[in-house]
Amino acid sequence: MEQILANGIYLGSQYAMIALGLTLIFALMNVLNFAHGQMYVIGGFVTYTFYGQWGVPFVLALVMSCVTLAILGALIEKFLFAPVIKGSAREESTMLLAAGIAFFLDAVILLVFGEKQRGVPKIVDGVFNWDFRIIMPYDRILICVLAILSIVAFIGLMQYTKTGRALRALAQDRTAAQLMGVNVDRYSMIGFALGAMLAGLVGGLLVTITGVNLGMGGPTSIKAFMMVMIGGAGVISGAIWGGIILGFMEAIGLALLYQYGDITYLLIFVSLMIFLAIRPQGLMGKPWG
Amino acid sequence: MSPLLQVKNVTKKYGGLTANNAISFDVAENEILSVIGPNGAGKSTLFKMIASFTPTTSGEVIYQGERISNLKPHIVARKGVVRTFQETTIFKSMTVRESVVVAQHLRAKASLAGYFWGSKTAKDDVTAFEKYADELLEFLGMSEISNEQASNLPQGSLRALGIAIGLATDPKVLLLDEPFAGMNHDETMNMVKLVRSVRDERGVTVMLVEHDMPAVMNISDRIVVLNFGEKIAEGTPSEIQSNEKVIEAYLGSVDDEIGM
Amino acid sequence: MLGFTSKQLVGVGIFLFVIFIGVPLIINATGRWDFYFTLTSVALLAIASAGVWLTFYIGRINIGQGAFALIGAYVSAILVVKAGWSFWISLPVAGLFAAVVAILIGLPILRLRGVYFAMITLVLTQVVTLTALALPITNGAKGISNIPLPSGISLLGIPILPDFAGMENTKLAFYFTACIIMVLTYAALYRLVNSRLGHLCRSMQQNEELASSIGVNIAYIRIVIFAISSFFGGLGGAMFGSIAQSVYPSSFQVADSVNFMLNCFLGGLGYVFGPMLGTLVLYFGWDLLFEFGKYQMLIYSTILIIIIRFLPNGLLSIRFDKGGDK
Repeated sequence: MEQILANGIYLGSQYAMIALGLTLIFALMNVLNFAHGQMYVIGGFVTYTFYGQWGVPFVLALVMSCVTLAILGALIEKFLFAPVIKGSAREESTMLLAAGIAFFLDAVILLVFGEKQRGVPKIVDGVFNWDFRIIMPYDRILICVLAILSIVAFIGLMQYTKTGRALRALAQDRTAAQLMGVNVDRYSMIGFALGAMLAGLVGGLLVTITGVNLGMGGPTSIKAFMMVMIGGAGVISGAIWGGIILGFMEAIGLALLYQYGDITYLLIFVSLMIFLAIRPQGLMGKPWG
Repeated sequence: MSPLLQVKNVTKKYGGLTANNAISFDVAENEILSVIGPNGAGKSTLFKMIASFTPTTSGEVIYQGERISNLKPHIVARKGVVRTFQETTIFKSMTVRESVVVAQHLRAKASLAGYFWGSKTAKDDVTAFEKYADELLEFLGMSEISNEQASNLPQGSLRALGIAIGLATDPKVLLLDEPFAGMNHDETMNMVKLVRSVRDERGVTVMLVEHDMPAVMNISDRIVVLNFGEKIAEGTPSEIQSNEKVIEAYLGSVDDEIGM
Repeated sequence: MLGFTSKQLVGVGIFLFVIFIGVPLIINATGRWDFYFTLTSVALLAIASAGVWLTFYIGRINIGQGAFALIGAYVSAILVVKAGWSFWISLPVAGLFAAVVAILIGLPILRLRGVYFAMITLVLTQVVTLTALALPITNGAKGISNIPLPSGISLLGIPILPDFAGMENTKLAFYFTACIIMVLTYAALYRLVNSRLGHLCRSMQQNEELASSIGVNIAYIRIVIFAISSFFGGLGGAMFGSIAQSVYPSSFQVADSVNFMLNCFLGGLGYVFGPMLGTLVLYFGWDLLFEFGKYQMLIYSTILIIIIRFLPNGLLSIRFDKGGDK
């Protein structure tokens, strides 16, 4: 029981970070970022290259992951999403663009990093063992703590800084934000960069546990979509709840249904459908239409 | 004669908030009845409940002796109680004529399969729809803009389009949500004339929610006044104008705001 | 005839001539027999894409067509291999089965709109793949292979449909079959869109509230459209399984669902024949880029991004400067 709880917290904190980035981008620009999983994978590979290959300290490697993704996100927003949003007759064109970018990033990952599974040396050794009730390697605990700290930092940023206030205003009502003097174009770019950066950061954190490979992108995006749907799209608290709930469902499912393999995910999917039938706007989302 | 439509003790609560509290009144056939009240008095919510766009918390709406509250909105529309929208809710990328043709689908005689194969009945239907659409648009004075895309229309025409779409369904009762909002005096007077002719020439009973007091006084046979979700008065325009409760609760407070 | 103008009839005539006579002649002349397989795939994927396009017609972005294609492929394969049915009977049954599944799933999820519907359909594709892995009847990851080629059907001794196994050139036979089904699908789609149901769909696409205020039973139409859409998906999938003679859980995945959506968007959502063009361009483009080896994906996605960047309203929007809806 305690073990499941610990695993749930561990998984949930990682997932919440992934969902946060996705939901931020959605809230700001109404863009469903299909490439989110690929951004996560790139983050993993950057940390792998700096920390695993070149021996740069882990924290610096993490920073490099963040910087790389922030720049990538900013460029993608400025040169692709912003013009397409302006020139398109339908909002849905952005979905097509996001899918194109996901393919593109997959291709880049394939060419630059190859398709092999990559891992890095452990950041800390040893296993925490509490009377065999909770067994968890120290590196997982560290990663979990780092993830929670990052989430707290992100919330702090959104709540207490000028940038955060501008982003929140933008998410709530674009036109109103513009009238209030928020530079909409600039903050859309910052928001997108921030969302991408979160994906990169989780990638960098998790590469120390699960390693990283090309095929992880798509499934990560799908999980992120599920979390966002559970919590309610575009709502920050919703993303966190969605991450925690999915994390716990997975932890519980894997513990109880271990021998049935993929049945856990099947059950999660089915329960998600039933949940959405009852509450289409998710846990925290505002009711609509 | 029994009333065409009865609102009986209709209540709507959102969480702890009461939007409408036990509202009752009758609507007679062929009358123009306005529901007025300050902002947030619950007028729009009441309209939504009559058209079944939102369920009632308690109470019921009776139309021709039949309960129509808490049904699906399309069923209520099929029975002849049709609403228009406060917002500029239109079929954006259809032309005016197309919108009016689509809105007549309830009169279709041919089946969906008949349409698919292009049966004789289906073709007759389409011809009849188009003919009636032209008639209706002429009646509303919209012939000139019948081939305009709805999204290109100015606001006044959009409101007329909303009424045209509503009328095309051949309603018995038409619920107009703020038909005069944002209009200048001349536009308002035109709309008043139009709404009258809808009643006089087409025999449609009209209910409307409105802020524009002069227009309401001009057009209505009877008026129901709401304040804070409660009905505070009901009567002819002259009765309402001299009703102290109304003057106190409504006219006094909003005069400046609406520039009367 | 069926409400076509003479100009449209000429266009349709040219189109039919090209696919049924022109293409075989060209392939014969050039000896590129491999194009038959490519074009057959295009035809089948275009059928499934037609369904996605139709769901868009009621304002829903459907990224779940891979799920229904996979369902169709499995139903047909199971009926042919395990129950010994004729493929030709299993084909419509596969479509109908997909439609029934769509009705059951659609009841809860069609209430969702916008990105919510898009996301849940995407998840649905994953669910079906996982179900195929988990169920005993689908044989798990091993899938169903060695599906026999379609056998002939004769009525009162007169052959109606030929026996593919006895044929010298099955590629050509499959090509013709796929094209015939595609033509029928798009003819049906065209009629549907231009009939009363199509108008009601358009009214829903533009404003569901207003549509229900004029008496449109939006819940019912949504289900009907989703069922038809999935029928097309099941049909395309079943046919695909028969050509490949095998079905695996990975036959149709999330990426395929995304591709079906891309086909529609790229062709242009305002045009009935948009998905057909989009499928042709995307699939053929992908195939032609095969020569570039490991750069195939990079070039493909770059072109895709450039197209979206400069033609965000689809390829067919070049011809119509208004863009958007027809």
